[in-house]
Amino acid sequence: MAAININKEQFQQLTAGSKPVLVDFWAPWCGYCRRIAPAYEKIAEQYGDDIVVAKLNIDEEPQVADKEQIEVIPTLVLYQNGAALGSVVAPESKANIEEFIQNTLK
Amino acid sequence: MKQIYDMLIIGGGPGGYTAALYAARAGLNVILLEKLSAGGQMAQTNQVDNYPGFEDGIDGFLLAEKMQRQAERFGAKTELAEVYSLRLESEIKEVETSEGVFRARTVVIATGANPRELGVPGEKTFAGRGVHYCAACDGMFYRGKTVAVIGGGNSAAADALTLSRVAKKVIVIHRRDTLRATKIYHQPLLDAPNVEFFWNSGATALLGEGRLTGAVVKNLLSGEESHLELDGVFVSIGRAPASQLIQGQVVLDEAGYIVADESTKTSIPGVFAVGDVRTKALRQIVTAVSDGAMAVHAAEEYLAHLSARSLSS
Repeated sequence: MAAININKEQFQQLTAGSKPVLVDFWAPWCGYCRRIAPAYEKIAEQYGDDIVVAKLNIDEEPQVADKEQIEVIPTLVLYQNGAALGSVVAPESKANIEEFIQNTLK
Repeated sequence: MKQIYDMLIIGGGPGGYTAALYAARAGLNVILLEKLSAGGQMAQTNQVDNYPGFEDGIDGFLLAEKMQRQAERFGAKTELAEVYSLRLESEIKEVETSEGVFRARTVVIATGANPRELGVPGEKTFAGRGVHYCAACDGMFYRGKTVAVIGGGNSAAADALTLSRVAKKVIVIHRRDTLRATKIYHQPLLDAPNVEFFWNSGATALLGEGRLTGAVVKNLLSGEESHLELDGVFVSIGRAPASQLIQGQVVLDEAGYIVADESTKTSIPGVFAVGDVRTKALRQIVTAVSDGAMAVHAAEEYLAHLSARSLSS
């Protein structure tokens, strides 16, 4: 499964649910966001059954980024039942993202 | 994963993918391990103007993707794996990673270099929260704000120029009394109305709460300390080789670079070092790719000796 692009409405709907949602806050001008993209797609493939793997473009949805206090991109946030469980800023590797997911959902 | 590769390459920058390309074309069974995505430092530059063949320049990330696809066209494989440890002494070398253990007869270290850190209090705390290492990447967050650039070399000067177009004010903090950067940077920086200089100075602490709010800057001549209110700090004081993984196994120089000459051969037979992680005079994409080709040449020679020896024994 590929990572899905979500907007504000989808963000609100998905993060309210009981299935964990991983959101990559990104923007087209952010170089490091591009760099994590291949690893992020792999994560979507591997974890797609258990968690929703999503991307939110902060240029298109600045209100969401503001409300979620995203100050740096890329920031990955894991949500469940309407709450942010944890976040990781500019992960260094695919392994780093996996560790974050596993430690956060433990 | 019982397979034994002819060549395992660690790092997917220009040196690594050129080695992969040459190895695959030489008929070697080759795998490249990359922890994130192709390109290394090159992928952080959106305009590469000194790589021949692209007369209008090319985006570094795009160039990296092209190098990856080119190597893969000839059968090189890429695995997104983070390397945890290496066992290199025996003929079959083992690499332990986040995706399991990989075995190969030759190993090419292409791990590159990373931005050097200041090593002052607050730096780690506010990394990504006001402390940055790449103006081209994160400068956009500082539109209309006040930022400092620490350093005086070419990359510091380029960062300061980039930021001067975005930020309200840019303060350059440098240990010497003049920029070390090449001349072409000096005048534009001195002419920029919103760039200020703190000469003979260094940051001794980064301050903040939740995110960076300022820095303590010390004048190295007078010893006087001052507090600067800042929204962001861009650290640009050079690079350090990513050789921690291999420390204590192959010979490194004082700065941590893997000692290897043009042949790319390290102190361990069958282990080669290419690109920025190797001791060399000029660290550029073009010199990294040349290393990649050279490593495969040396590895082929090494593999031929291995098989000749096993035939005669």
